[in-house]
Amino acid sequence: MSQQDNTLLIDVGSTYFKVSNQDSIEQYFRDFNKDILDDLLHRCGDTIQSFDKDDVYICSSANGGLNTLIIGVSNTYSLKYATNIAFNSGINIIDTILYQNIEEYSVPSDLVDVVIIVGGIDSCTGMFTDNLYSYLAKLSYSNIVFVGSEQDAPIIKEKISNLVILPNVIDNKLHIVEDYLKEYLTNLYQQDIEGKEDIKNLYDITANRIYPTPYIVNKALPEIDARYSVVNPFILLDIGGATTDIHYSKDLVDENIVTKNEFDRLVFKKLGVFKSKQSLIFTAKNNEFVYELLMHLKVTENIFNEQSQKATKILMQLAIFLVLCKISHYKKAYINLKLLTINSFVLTGGITKVLTKEEIENIIAFFYKKILTSGHRPVVVLDSNYDIWTLGLKGD
Amino acid sequence: MKVVTGVVGNDIHVVANRLIDLSLRARGFEVFNLGVNTYLEEFFDAAVETGAEILLISSLNGEAEGWGREVKLLKAKYKDLDNLIMMIGGNLVVGSGSAEDIVPKYKNYGFDLVCHQVDLNTGLDSLEEFIQQRNKK
Ligand code: B12
Repeated sequence: MSQQDNTLLIDVGSTYFKVSNQDSIEQYFRDFNKDILDDLLHRCGDTIQSFDKDDVYICSSANGGLNTLIIGVSNTYSLKYATNIAFNSGINIIDTILYQNIEEYSVPSDLVDVVIIVGGIDSCTGMFTDNLYSYLAKLSYSNIVFVGSEQDAPIIKEKISNLVILPNVIDNKLHIVEDYLKEYLTNLYQQDIEGKEDIKNLYDITANRIYPTPYIVNKALPEIDARYSVVNPFILLDIGGATTDIHYSKDLVDENIVTKNEFDRLVFKKLGVFKSKQSLIFTAKNNEFVYELLMHLKVTENIFNEQSQKATKILMQLAIFLVLCKISHYKKAYINLKLLTINSFVLTGGITKVLTKEEIENIIAFFYKKILTSGHRPVVVLDSNYDIWTLGLKGD
Repeated sequence: MKVVTGVVGNDIHVVANRLIDLSLRARGFEVFNLGVNTYLEEFFDAAVETGAEILLISSLNGEAEGWGREVKLLKAKYKDLDNLIMMIGGNLVVGSGSAEDIVPKYKNYGFDLVCHQVDLNTGLDSLEEFIQQRNKK
Protein backbone atom coordinates (compact mmCIF):
# COMPACT_ATOMS: atom_id res chain seq x y z
CA MET A 1 0.00 0.00 0.00
CA SER A 2 1.43 3.29 -1.05
CA GLN A 3 -0.70 6.00 0.42
CA GLN A 4 -2.06 6.95 3.79
CA ASP A 5 -4.74 9.43 2.93
CA ASN A 6 -7.46 9.66 0.40
CA THR A 7 -6.05 10.73 -2.92
CA LEU A 8 -6.07 9.27 -6.40
CA LEU A 9 -2.85 9.38 -8.39
CA ILE A 10 -2.83 8.88 -12.15
CA ASP A 11 0.16 8.58 -14.44
CA VAL A 12 -0.52 8.71 -18.16
CA GLY A 13 2.28 7.14 -20.15
CA SER A 14 2.67 6.54 -23.85
CA THR A 15 1.72 2.88 -23.42
CA TYR A 16 0.09 2.39 -20.03
CA PHE A 17 -1.67 4.40 -17.48
CA LYS A 18 -1.40 3.70 -13.79
CA VAL A 19 -4.04 4.52 -11.26
CA SER A 20 -3.24 4.39 -7.59
CA ASN A 21 -5.45 4.93 -4.56
CA GLN A 22 -5.27 4.09 -0.90
CA ASP A 23 -5.96 0.41 -1.45
CA SER A 24 -4.48 -0.55 -4.74
CA ILE A 25 -2.42 0.33 -7.72
CA GLU A 26 -3.58 -0.69 -11.14
CA GLN A 27 -2.02 -0.56 -14.55
CA TYR A 28 -3.91 -0.51 -17.85
CA PHE A 29 -2.73 -0.85 -21.39
CA ARG A 30 -3.91 2.19 -23.29
CA ASP A 31 -6.49 1.95 -26.01
CA PHE A 32 -5.14 4.20 -28.73
CA ASN A 33 -8.49 4.43 -30.49
CA LYS A 34 -9.84 6.34 -27.55
CA ASP A 35 -9.20 9.78 -26.15
CA ILE A 36 -7.20 9.48 -22.92
CA LEU A 37 -10.02 10.70 -20.71
CA ASP A 38 -12.56 8.36 -22.33
CA ASP A 39 -10.12 5.49 -21.98
CA LEU A 40 -9.54 6.25 -18.30
CA LEU A 41 -13.26 6.64 -17.55
CA HIS A 42 -14.02 3.44 -19.42
CA ARG A 43 -11.45 1.51 -17.34
CA CYS A 44 -11.97 2.98 -13.91
CA GLY A 45 -14.69 5.58 -14.14
CA ASP A 46 -16.29 4.54 -10.89
CA THR A 47 -13.09 4.97 -8.95
CA ILE A 48 -12.39 8.35 -10.53
CA GLN A 49 -15.90 9.62 -9.94
CA SER A 50 -15.67 8.69 -6.27
CA PHE A 51 -12.86 11.20 -5.73
CA ASP A 52 -13.14 14.91 -5.36
CA LYS A 53 -11.34 16.84 -8.15
CA ASP A 54 -9.02 18.32 -5.52
CA ASP A 55 -7.84 14.86 -4.53
CA VAL A 56 -6.89 13.68 -7.99
CA TYR A 57 -3.24 14.18 -9.03
CA ILE A 58 -2.07 13.49 -12.57
CA CYS A 59 1.28 13.39 -14.28
CA SER A 60 1.97 12.54 -17.89
CA SER A 61 4.71 11.65 -20.27
CA ALA A 62 2.22 10.64 -22.93
CA ASN A 63 3.22 13.34 -25.36
CA GLY A 64 6.78 12.07 -25.37
CA GLY A 65 8.05 15.45 -24.21
CA LEU A 66 9.52 18.33 -26.12
CA ASN A 67 12.44 18.14 -28.54
CA THR A 68 15.32 20.49 -28.56
CA LEU A 69 18.25 21.20 -30.84
CA ILE A 70 21.18 22.91 -29.14
CA ILE A 71 23.72 25.06 -30.96
CA GLY A 72 26.78 25.91 -28.86
CA VAL A 73 30.41 26.91 -29.28
CA SER A 74 32.19 24.23 -27.21
CA ASN A 75 31.54 20.71 -26.00
CA THR A 76 32.79 21.22 -22.46
CA TYR A 77 30.86 24.35 -21.59
CA SER A 78 28.02 25.68 -23.70
CA LEU A 79 26.80 22.39 -25.17
CA LYS A 80 27.28 20.37 -22.00
CA TYR A 81 25.64 22.93 -19.75
CA ALA A 82 22.63 23.46 -21.99
CA THR A 83 22.25 19.68 -22.45
CA ASN A 84 22.31 19.14 -18.71
CA ILE A 85 19.67 21.80 -18.11
CA ALA A 86 17.46 20.51 -20.92
CA PHE A 87 17.53 16.92 -19.66
CA ASN A 88 16.78 18.05 -16.13
CA SER A 89 13.82 20.05 -17.41
CA GLY A 90 12.35 16.89 -18.93
CA ILE A 91 13.29 17.80 -22.51
CA ASN A 92 14.55 15.36 -25.16
CA ILE A 93 17.58 16.29 -27.19
CA ILE A 94 17.53 15.60 -30.89
CA ASP A 95 20.98 16.87 -31.61
CA THR A 96 23.73 19.17 -30.45
CA ILE A 97 25.62 21.25 -32.97
CA LEU A 98 29.15 22.46 -32.43
CA TYR A 99 28.82 25.89 -33.96
CA GLN A 100 32.19 26.14 -35.68
CA ASN A 101 31.20 23.13 -37.82
CA ILE A 102 27.55 24.07 -38.32
CA GLU A 103 27.85 23.90 -42.12
CA GLU A 104 28.63 20.20 -41.91
CA TYR A 105 25.49 19.25 -39.97
CA SER A 106 22.35 18.08 -41.68
CA VAL A 107 19.13 19.89 -40.89
CA PRO A 108 16.54 17.74 -39.06
CA SER A 109 13.42 17.39 -41.15
CA ASP A 110 11.02 17.19 -38.19
CA LEU A 111 9.72 20.26 -36.45
CA VAL A 112 11.93 21.18 -33.49
CA ASP A 113 10.00 22.38 -30.45
CA VAL A 114 12.74 24.61 -29.13
CA VAL A 115 16.14 25.68 -30.44
CA ILE A 116 18.70 26.71 -27.82
CA ILE A 117 21.61 28.94 -28.87
CA VAL A 118 24.44 29.26 -26.39
CA GLY A 119 28.06 30.36 -26.24
CA GLY A 120 30.53 32.77 -24.73
CA ILE A 121 30.78 34.46 -21.38
CA ASP A 122 29.26 37.93 -21.12
CA SER A 123 32.49 39.75 -21.90
CA CYS A 124 32.77 37.97 -25.24
CA THR A 125 31.22 39.15 -28.43
CA GLY A 126 30.89 38.01 -32.02
CA MET A 127 30.51 34.32 -31.26
CA PHE A 128 28.01 33.81 -34.08
CA THR A 129 28.06 34.80 -37.73
CA ASP A 130 25.85 34.46 -40.79
CA ASN A 131 26.31 30.69 -40.77
CA LEU A 132 23.91 30.58 -37.84
CA TYR A 133 21.19 32.44 -39.71
CA SER A 134 21.54 30.37 -42.87
CA TYR A 135 21.22 27.18 -40.83
CA LEU A 136 18.18 28.47 -38.95
CA ALA A 137 16.57 29.55 -42.20
CA LYS A 138 16.49 25.89 -43.26
CA LEU A 139 15.19 24.60 -39.93
CA SER A 140 11.59 24.49 -38.81
CA TYR A 141 11.10 25.23 -35.14
CA SER A 142 8.44 26.55 -32.80
CA ASN A 143 10.51 28.36 -30.17
CA ILE A 144 14.02 29.74 -30.03
CA VAL A 145 15.96 30.92 -27.02
CA PHE A 146 19.38 32.55 -26.62
CA VAL A 147 21.35 31.92 -23.44
CA GLY A 148 24.84 33.02 -24.48
CA SER A 149 26.86 36.22 -24.11
CA GLU A 150 24.69 39.22 -23.18
CA GLN A 151 26.65 41.34 -25.66
CA ASP A 152 25.68 39.08 -28.55
CA ALA A 153 22.02 38.92 -27.56
CA PRO A 154 20.85 42.19 -29.16
CA ILE A 155 22.77 41.43 -32.37
CA ILE A 156 21.12 38.03 -32.74
CA LYS A 157 17.74 39.39 -31.72
CA GLU A 158 17.89 41.76 -34.67
CA LYS A 159 18.08 38.82 -37.06
CA ILE A 160 15.68 36.45 -35.35
CA SER A 161 12.47 38.18 -34.46
CA ASN A 162 10.82 35.69 -32.11
CA LEU A 163 14.04 35.08 -30.15
CA VAL A 164 13.65 34.81 -26.38
CA ILE A 165 16.68 36.15 -24.51
CA LEU A 166 17.56 34.81 -21.09
CA PRO A 167 20.61 35.34 -18.83
CA ASN A 168 23.74 33.47 -19.85
CA VAL A 169 24.01 29.83 -18.69
CA ILE A 170 27.79 30.34 -18.33
CA ASP A 171 28.97 32.82 -15.73
CA ASN A 172 32.28 34.71 -15.70
CA LYS A 173 33.98 31.87 -13.86
CA LEU A 174 32.78 29.42 -16.49
CA HIS A 175 30.31 27.90 -14.02
CA ILE A 176 26.81 26.84 -14.95
CA VAL A 177 23.78 29.05 -14.24
CA GLU A 178 20.75 26.81 -14.52
CA ASP A 179 17.73 28.54 -13.13
CA TYR A 180 16.54 30.78 -15.97
CA LEU A 181 16.79 28.29 -18.81
CA LYS A 182 15.39 25.53 -16.61
CA GLU A 183 12.36 27.60 -15.68
CA TYR A 184 11.79 28.56 -19.32
CA LEU A 185 11.99 24.97 -20.55
CA THR A 186 9.90 23.56 -17.72
CA ASN A 187 7.18 26.11 -18.48
CA LEU A 188 7.34 25.29 -22.16
CA TYR A 189 6.96 21.58 -21.40
CA GLN A 190 4.08 22.37 -19.09
CA GLN A 191 2.34 24.47 -21.71
CA ASP A 192 2.84 21.71 -24.23
CA ILE A 193 1.23 19.13 -21.98
CA GLU A 194 -1.64 21.41 -21.15
CA GLY A 195 -2.06 22.41 -24.77
CA LYS A 196 -2.53 18.83 -25.98
CA GLU A 197 -6.23 18.31 -26.58
CA ASP A 198 -6.09 14.89 -24.95
CA ILE A 199 -4.44 16.10 -21.81
CA LYS A 200 -6.54 19.26 -21.54
CA ASN A 201 -9.60 17.07 -21.12
CA LEU A 202 -8.07 15.56 -18.03
CA TYR A 203 -8.72 18.82 -16.20
CA ASP A 204 -12.33 17.60 -16.12
CA ILE A 205 -11.27 15.17 -13.42
CA THR A 206 -8.56 17.08 -11.54
CA ALA A 207 -8.29 20.51 -10.01
CA ASN A 208 -4.51 20.16 -9.67
CA ARG A 209 -1.75 20.99 -12.11
CA ILE A 210 -0.71 18.15 -14.44
CA TYR A 211 3.04 17.62 -14.26
CA PRO A 212 5.52 15.93 -16.58
CA THR A 213 6.39 12.47 -15.21
CA PRO A 214 10.20 12.90 -15.29
CA TYR A 215 9.86 16.02 -13.18
CA ILE A 216 7.88 14.05 -10.60
CA VAL A 217 10.36 11.17 -10.54
CA ASN A 218 13.36 13.45 -10.17
CA LYS A 219 11.70 15.19 -7.25
CA ALA A 220 11.17 11.91 -5.42
CA LEU A 221 14.75 10.69 -5.61
CA PRO A 222 16.28 12.50 -2.63
CA GLU A 223 13.69 10.76 -0.44
CA ILE A 224 13.94 7.37 -2.04
CA ASP A 225 15.59 5.77 0.97
CA ALA A 226 12.39 6.40 2.92
CA ARG A 227 10.88 3.57 0.86
CA TYR A 228 13.76 1.34 -0.09
CA SER A 229 17.09 0.36 1.28
CA VAL A 230 18.90 1.97 -1.59
CA VAL A 231 22.58 2.56 -1.15
CA ASN A 232 24.05 5.66 -2.74
CA PRO A 233 25.24 6.20 -5.37
CA PHE A 234 22.46 4.74 -7.45
CA ILE A 235 20.86 5.04 -10.86
CA LEU A 236 17.20 4.76 -11.65
CA LEU A 237 16.06 3.34 -14.97
CA ASP A 238 12.59 4.06 -16.24
CA ILE A 239 12.21 2.04 -19.40
CA GLY A 240 8.99 3.09 -20.98
CA GLY A 241 7.09 2.40 -24.16
CA ALA A 242 8.64 5.28 -26.08
CA THR A 243 11.72 6.50 -24.20
CA THR A 244 14.10 5.42 -21.51
CA ASP A 245 14.90 7.82 -18.71
CA ILE A 246 17.89 7.52 -16.46
CA HIS A 247 18.18 9.46 -13.25
CA TYR A 248 21.58 9.26 -11.60
CA SER A 249 23.27 10.48 -8.44
CA LYS A 250 25.69 13.31 -9.09
CA ASP A 251 28.41 11.29 -7.30
CA LEU A 252 28.58 9.14 -10.40
CA VAL A 253 30.05 11.82 -12.62
CA ASP A 254 33.34 13.65 -12.49
CA GLU A 255 32.25 16.72 -14.25
CA ASN A 256 32.93 20.39 -14.51
CA ILE A 257 29.23 21.01 -13.92
CA VAL A 258 28.65 22.04 -10.33
CA THR A 259 25.00 22.47 -9.39
CA LYS A 260 22.71 22.11 -6.41
CA ASN A 261 20.98 19.08 -7.90
CA GLU A 262 21.59 15.78 -6.22
CA PHE A 263 20.35 13.96 -9.29
CA ASP A 264 20.60 14.53 -12.99
CA ARG A 265 18.57 13.05 -15.78
CA LEU A 266 19.42 11.63 -19.15
CA VAL A 267 16.98 10.47 -21.82
CA PHE A 268 17.30 8.10 -24.71
CA LYS A 269 14.53 9.10 -27.00
CA LYS A 270 14.24 6.16 -29.32
CA LEU A 271 14.66 3.40 -26.83
CA GLY A 272 11.42 1.91 -25.64
CA VAL A 273 9.65 -1.40 -25.80
CA PHE A 274 6.38 -0.48 -27.52
CA LYS A 275 6.21 2.75 -29.47
CA SER A 276 9.97 2.74 -30.07
CA LYS A 277 10.27 -1.01 -30.44
CA GLN A 278 11.58 -0.89 -34.02
CA SER A 279 14.36 1.55 -33.21
CA LEU A 280 15.27 -0.51 -30.14
CA ILE A 281 15.66 -3.58 -32.34
CA PHE A 282 17.67 -1.54 -34.82
CA THR A 283 20.04 -0.35 -32.07
CA ALA A 284 20.30 -3.90 -30.79
CA LYS A 285 21.24 -5.33 -34.17
CA ASN A 286 24.03 -2.79 -34.40
CA ASN A 287 25.50 -3.76 -31.05
CA GLU A 288 28.26 -6.32 -31.40
CA PHE A 289 27.48 -7.98 -28.08
CA VAL A 290 23.78 -8.47 -28.61
CA TYR A 291 24.02 -11.84 -30.33
CA GLU A 292 26.05 -13.14 -27.46
CA LEU A 293 23.46 -11.76 -25.10
CA LEU A 294 20.63 -13.45 -27.01
CA MET A 295 22.54 -16.70 -26.82
CA HIS A 296 23.03 -16.15 -23.12
CA LEU A 297 19.26 -15.73 -22.82
CA LYS A 298 18.82 -18.88 -24.91
CA VAL A 299 16.89 -17.29 -27.79
CA THR A 300 17.70 -16.38 -31.39
CA GLU A 301 17.11 -13.15 -33.27
CA ASN A 302 13.80 -14.56 -34.52
CA ILE A 303 12.45 -13.41 -31.21
CA PHE A 304 12.36 -9.87 -32.69
CA ASN A 305 9.54 -10.95 -34.98
CA GLU A 306 7.50 -12.58 -32.26
CA GLN A 307 4.59 -11.05 -30.39
CA SER A 308 4.58 -12.76 -27.05
CA GLN A 309 5.17 -12.24 -23.37
CA LYS A 310 8.53 -13.92 -23.88
CA ALA A 311 9.46 -11.48 -26.67
CA THR A 312 8.52 -8.51 -24.51
CA LYS A 313 10.70 -9.86 -21.73
CA ILE A 314 13.66 -10.20 -24.05
CA LEU A 315 13.14 -6.70 -25.44
CA MET A 316 13.15 -5.29 -21.94
CA GLN A 317 16.29 -7.17 -21.07
CA LEU A 318 17.89 -5.84 -24.25
CA ALA A 319 16.77 -2.32 -23.37
CA ILE A 320 18.56 -2.55 -20.01
CA PHE A 321 21.71 -3.78 -21.69
CA LEU A 322 21.67 -1.12 -24.43
CA VAL A 323 21.07 1.70 -22.00
CA LEU A 324 23.98 0.56 -19.87
CA CYS A 325 26.17 0.42 -22.98
CA LYS A 326 25.16 3.96 -23.83
CA ILE A 327 26.28 5.33 -20.48
CA SER A 328 29.51 3.38 -20.30
CA HIS A 329 32.86 4.19 -21.86
CA TYR A 330 31.95 1.68 -24.57
CA LYS A 331 29.44 4.09 -26.13
CA LYS A 332 29.80 7.39 -24.38
CA ALA A 333 26.78 9.63 -23.88
CA TYR A 334 27.43 13.29 -23.18
CA ILE A 335 28.54 12.31 -19.71
CA ASN A 336 30.35 9.24 -18.51
CA LEU A 337 28.89 7.53 -15.47
CA LYS A 338 31.24 5.76 -13.10
CA LEU A 339 29.48 2.45 -13.40
CA LEU A 340 31.88 0.59 -11.17
CA THR A 341 30.93 2.71 -8.19
CA ILE A 342 27.16 2.23 -8.54
CA ASN A 343 25.75 0.53 -5.48
CA SER A 344 22.11 0.22 -6.43
CA PHE A 345 20.10 -0.07 -9.61
CA VAL A 346 16.52 1.01 -9.15
CA LEU A 347 14.03 0.08 -11.85
CA THR A 348 10.63 1.60 -12.21
CA GLY A 349 7.89 1.65 -14.83
CA GLY A 350 6.27 -1.14 -16.78
CA ILE A 351 9.42 -3.23 -16.64
CA THR A 352 8.86 -4.09 -13.00
CA LYS A 353 5.64 -5.86 -13.99
CA VAL A 354 7.32 -7.93 -16.66
CA LEU A 355 10.76 -8.90 -15.43
CA THR A 356 11.77 -10.53 -12.18
CA LYS A 357 14.62 -9.33 -10.03
CA GLU A 358 16.66 -12.37 -11.09
CA GLU A 359 16.14 -11.69 -14.78
CA ILE A 360 17.35 -8.13 -14.32
CA GLU A 361 20.33 -9.19 -12.23
CA ASN A 362 21.24 -11.64 -14.95
CA ILE A 363 21.49 -8.85 -17.55
CA ILE A 364 23.37 -6.50 -15.28
CA ALA A 365 25.88 -9.22 -14.47
CA PHE A 366 26.30 -9.94 -18.19
CA PHE A 367 26.92 -6.25 -18.86
CA TYR A 368 29.51 -5.83 -16.13
CA LYS A 369 31.31 -8.95 -17.18
CA LYS A 370 31.30 -8.36 -20.95
CA ILE A 371 31.67 -4.62 -21.24
CA LEU A 372 33.47 -3.68 -18.06
CA THR A 373 35.19 -7.02 -17.43
CA SER A 374 34.23 -6.71 -13.81
CA GLY A 375 32.58 -8.86 -11.20
CA HIS A 376 30.90 -5.81 -9.65
CA ARG A 377 27.25 -6.51 -8.75
CA PRO A 378 25.11 -3.54 -7.76
CA VAL A 379 21.97 -4.36 -5.79
CA VAL A 380 18.80 -4.40 -7.90
CA VAL A 381 15.73 -2.73 -6.43
CA LEU A 382 12.36 -3.02 -8.14
CA ASP A 383 9.87 -0.22 -7.63
CA SER A 384 7.01 -2.61 -8.39
CA ASN A 385 4.43 -0.58 -6.51
CA TYR A 386 5.38 2.68 -8.16
CA ASP A 387 6.32 4.06 -4.79
CA ILE A 388 8.75 6.52 -6.34
CA TRP A 389 6.16 8.03 -8.56
CA THR A 390 3.68 8.14 -5.66
CA LEU A 391 6.29 9.82 -3.49
CA GLY A 392 6.95 12.47 -6.14
CA LEU A 393 3.31 13.23 -6.91
CA LYS A 394 2.36 13.33 -3.26
CA GLY A 395 5.27 15.49 -2.31
CA ASP A 396 4.18 18.26 -4.56
CA MET B 1 44.24 40.38 -21.60
CA LYS B 2 42.44 37.14 -20.93
CA VAL B 3 44.38 34.05 -19.86
CA VAL B 4 43.08 30.53 -19.40
CA THR B 5 45.24 28.53 -16.99
CA GLY B 6 45.21 25.20 -15.18
CA VAL B 7 47.15 22.02 -14.47
CA VAL B 8 46.96 19.45 -17.23
CA GLY B 9 45.80 15.83 -17.01
CA ASN B 10 45.45 13.94 -13.75
CA ASP B 11 47.91 16.21 -12.01
CA ILE B 12 46.74 17.47 -8.62
CA HIS B 13 49.69 19.68 -7.58
CA VAL B 14 47.78 22.81 -6.75
CA VAL B 15 50.25 25.19 -5.11
CA ALA B 16 51.84 26.55 -8.27
CA ASN B 17 48.40 26.94 -9.82
CA ARG B 18 47.29 29.24 -6.99
CA LEU B 19 50.47 31.29 -7.30
CA ILE B 20 50.08 31.57 -11.06
CA ASP B 21 46.52 32.81 -10.63
CA LEU B 22 47.61 35.50 -8.14
CA SER B 23 50.68 36.60 -10.10
CA LEU B 24 48.77 36.92 -13.36
CA ARG B 25 46.09 39.03 -11.68
CA ALA B 26 48.75 41.21 -10.06
CA ARG B 27 50.11 41.83 -13.54
CA GLY B 28 46.71 42.93 -14.78
CA PHE B 29 45.60 39.83 -16.66
CA GLU B 30 42.01 38.61 -16.54
CA VAL B 31 42.37 35.01 -15.34
CA PHE B 32 40.19 31.97 -15.99
CA ASN B 33 41.62 29.34 -13.73
CA LEU B 34 40.42 25.82 -14.51
CA GLY B 35 42.43 24.43 -11.57
CA VAL B 36 44.05 21.01 -11.33
CA ASN B 37 42.92 17.94 -13.25
CA THR B 38 42.14 19.70 -16.49
CA TYR B 39 42.05 17.94 -19.83
CA LEU B 40 43.35 19.49 -23.03
CA GLU B 41 39.92 19.78 -24.60
CA GLU B 42 38.71 21.75 -21.57
CA PHE B 43 41.57 24.23 -21.98
CA PHE B 44 40.78 24.86 -25.63
CA ASP B 45 37.05 24.97 -25.02
CA ALA B 46 37.58 27.53 -22.25
CA ALA B 47 39.66 29.63 -24.63
CA VAL B 48 36.74 29.57 -27.10
CA GLU B 49 34.10 30.48 -24.50
CA THR B 50 36.13 33.29 -22.92
CA GLY B 51 37.82 34.65 -26.02
CA ALA B 52 41.16 34.29 -24.21
CA GLU B 53 44.33 35.34 -26.01
CA ILE B 54 46.65 33.22 -23.86
CA LEU B 55 46.64 29.62 -22.70
CA LEU B 56 49.03 28.92 -19.82
CA ILE B 57 49.28 25.27 -18.92
CA SER B 58 51.25 23.93 -16.01
CA SER B 59 52.32 20.41 -15.30
CA LEU B 60 54.21 19.21 -12.24
CA ASN B 61 53.96 15.46 -11.95
CA GLY B 62 55.57 14.49 -15.23
CA GLU B 63 52.44 13.97 -17.34
CA ALA B 64 53.12 16.89 -19.69
CA GLU B 65 55.02 14.84 -22.20
CA GLY B 66 52.08 12.62 -23.05
CA TRP B 67 49.65 15.52 -23.38
CA GLY B 68 52.13 17.63 -25.29
CA ARG B 69 52.11 15.18 -28.15
CA GLU B 70 48.34 15.58 -28.57
CA VAL B 71 48.26 19.37 -28.63
CA LYS B 72 48.71 19.93 -32.36
CA LEU B 73 46.19 17.34 -33.40
CA LEU B 74 43.52 18.61 -31.04
CA LYS B 75 44.14 22.30 -31.66
CA ALA B 76 43.81 21.72 -35.40
CA LYS B 77 40.17 20.82 -34.83
CA TYR B 78 39.42 24.34 -33.62
CA LYS B 79 38.79 26.94 -36.28
CA ASP B 80 39.40 30.13 -34.29
CA LEU B 81 42.42 29.46 -32.10
CA ASP B 82 45.21 30.25 -34.53
CA ASN B 83 46.29 33.38 -32.66
CA LEU B 84 46.18 31.84 -29.21
CA ILE B 85 49.49 32.27 -27.36
CA MET B 86 50.45 28.88 -25.98
CA MET B 87 52.66 28.60 -22.89
CA ILE B 88 53.62 25.67 -20.72
CA GLY B 89 55.72 25.38 -17.57
CA GLY B 90 56.51 23.35 -14.45
CA ASN B 91 58.28 19.98 -14.54
CA LEU B 92 58.01 19.04 -18.17
CA VAL B 93 59.62 15.62 -18.07
CA VAL B 94 59.66 12.61 -15.79
CA GLY B 95 62.81 12.75 -13.69
CA SER B 96 65.49 15.15 -14.86
CA GLY B 97 66.16 16.60 -18.27
CA SER B 98 67.85 19.64 -19.74
CA ALA B 99 66.07 22.66 -21.09
CA GLU B 100 68.12 22.40 -24.28
CA ASP B 101 66.34 19.17 -25.18
CA ILE B 102 63.01 19.97 -23.66
CA VAL B 103 62.33 23.43 -25.09
CA PRO B 104 62.61 22.57 -28.80
CA LYS B 105 60.52 19.46 -28.28
CA TYR B 106 57.63 21.41 -26.74
CA LYS B 107 57.94 24.16 -29.34
CA ASN B 108 57.47 21.45 -31.87
CA TYR B 109 54.33 20.36 -30.01
CA GLY B 110 52.93 23.83 -30.70
CA PHE B 111 53.92 25.91 -27.65
CA ASP B 112 55.24 29.44 -28.12
CA LEU B 113 56.79 29.63 -24.66
CA VAL B 114 58.28 26.71 -22.76
CA CYS B 115 59.43 27.10 -19.13
CA HIS B 116 60.86 23.89 -17.76
CA GLN B 117 61.62 24.41 -14.07
CA VAL B 118 61.68 28.15 -14.60
CA ASP B 119 60.72 30.38 -11.71
CA LEU B 120 57.27 31.83 -12.18
CA ASN B 121 58.19 35.51 -12.28
CA THR B 122 60.90 34.94 -14.85
CA GLY B 123 58.40 32.97 -16.91
CA LEU B 124 55.73 35.67 -16.74
CA ASP B 125 58.28 38.34 -17.66
CA SER B 126 59.03 36.39 -20.81
CA LEU B 127 55.31 36.14 -21.54
CA GLU B 128 54.92 39.91 -21.33
CA GLU B 129 57.93 40.37 -23.55
CA PHE B 130 56.48 37.93 -26.07
CA ILE B 131 53.21 39.87 -26.13
CA GLN B 132 55.04 43.15 -26.67
CA GLN B 133 57.05 41.72 -29.53
CA ARG B 134 53.97 40.35 -31.13
CA ASN B 135 52.08 43.62 -30.85
CA LYS B 136 54.95 45.40 -32.60
CA LYS B 137 54.60 43.15 -35.62
C1 B12 C 1 53.63 18.75 -2.42
C2 B12 C 1 53.92 17.68 -3.46
C3 B12 C 1 52.97 16.72 -3.67
C4 B12 C 1 51.62 16.72 -2.97
C5 B12 C 1 50.70 17.66 -3.75
C6 B12 C 1 49.67 18.32 -2.88
C7 B12 C 1 48.86 19.28 -3.70
N1 B12 C 1 47.58 19.03 -3.80
O1 B12 C 1 49.38 20.23 -4.25
C8 B12 C 1 51.20 15.23 -3.11
C9 B12 C 1 51.74 14.46 -1.94
C10 B12 C 1 49.70 14.96 -3.25
C11 B12 C 1 51.98 14.83 -4.33
C12 B12 C 1 51.66 13.75 -5.12
C13 B12 C 1 52.44 13.32 -6.17
N2 B12 C 1 53.64 13.81 -6.52
CO1 B12 C 1 54.39 15.39 -5.82
N3 B12 C 1 55.38 16.77 -5.09
C14 B12 C 1 55.14 17.67 -4.17
C15 B12 C 1 56.39 18.56 -3.96
C16 B12 C 1 57.06 18.07 -2.70
C17 B12 C 1 56.12 20.04 -3.85
C18 B12 C 1 55.25 20.65 -4.95
C19 B12 C 1 54.88 22.07 -4.60
O2 B12 C 1 53.79 22.36 -4.20
N4 B12 C 1 55.86 23.00 -4.72
C20 B12 C 1 55.69 24.41 -4.48
C21 B12 C 1 55.31 25.10 -5.80
C22 B12 C 1 55.15 26.60 -5.59
O3 B12 C 1 56.37 24.90 -6.70
P1 B12 C 1 56.24 24.10 -8.06
O4 B12 C 1 55.07 23.20 -8.03
O5 B12 C 1 57.52 23.56 -8.45
O6 B12 C 1 55.88 25.30 -9.05
C23 B12 C 1 56.82 26.34 -9.29
C24 B12 C 1 57.46 26.23 -10.64
O7 B12 C 1 57.48 24.91 -11.14
C25 B12 C 1 56.74 27.17 -11.47
N5 B12 C 1 55.69 26.69 -12.40
C26 B12 C 1 54.77 25.76 -12.26
N6 B12 C 1 53.97 25.73 -13.33
C27 B12 C 1 54.41 26.69 -14.16
C28 B12 C 1 53.94 27.12 -15.37
C29 B12 C 1 54.60 28.15 -16.03
C30 B12 C 1 54.11 28.59 -17.36
C31 B12 C 1 55.71 28.77 -15.43
C32 B12 C 1 56.40 29.87 -16.10
C33 B12 C 1 56.14 28.33 -14.20
C34 B12 C 1 55.51 27.31 -13.57
O8 B12 C 1 56.07 28.05 -10.64
C35 B12 C 1 56.07 27.65 -9.30
C36 B12 C 1 56.69 28.75 -8.47
O9 B12 C 1 57.94 29.08 -8.96
C37 B12 C 1 57.21 18.27 -5.25
C38 B12 C 1 58.73 18.29 -5.06
C39 B12 C 1 59.25 19.69 -5.02
N7 B12 C 1 59.99 19.96 -4.00
O10 B12 C 1 58.96 20.47 -5.93
C40 B12 C 1 56.74 16.86 -5.62
C41 B12 C 1 56.75 16.43 -7.05
C42 B12 C 1 56.17 17.55 -7.93
N8 B12 C 1 55.80 15.32 -7.06
C43 B12 C 1 56.19 14.35 -7.84
C44 B12 C 1 55.46 13.14 -8.03
C45 B12 C 1 56.14 12.09 -8.91
C46 B12 C 1 54.24 12.92 -7.39
C47 B12 C 1 53.39 11.66 -7.48
C48 B12 C 1 53.31 10.99 -8.85
C49 B12 C 1 53.94 10.72 -6.42
C50 B12 C 1 53.33 9.36 -6.43
N9 B12 C 1 54.10 8.42 -6.92
O11 B12 C 1 52.19 9.19 -6.02
C51 B12 C 1 52.05 12.16 -7.01
C52 B12 C 1 51.22 12.62 -8.20
C53 B12 C 1 49.80 12.95 -7.84
C54 B12 C 1 49.07 13.54 -8.99
N10 B12 C 1 47.99 12.90 -9.43
O12 B12 C 1 49.46 14.52 -9.54
C55 B12 C 1 57.49 14.64 -8.55
C56 B12 C 1 57.33 14.94 -10.03
C57 B12 C 1 58.51 14.35 -10.77
C58 B12 C 1 58.55 14.58 -12.20
N11 B12 C 1 57.87 15.53 -12.82
O13 B12 C 1 59.29 13.86 -12.80
C59 B12 C 1 58.06 15.80 -7.64
C60 B12 C 1 58.96 16.81 -8.41
C61 B12 C 1 58.87 15.10 -6.52
C62 B12 C 1 60.14 14.42 -7.05
N12 B12 C 1 61.26 15.09 -7.01
O14 B12 C 1 60.05 13.30 -7.48
N13 B12 C 1 53.06 15.65 -4.51
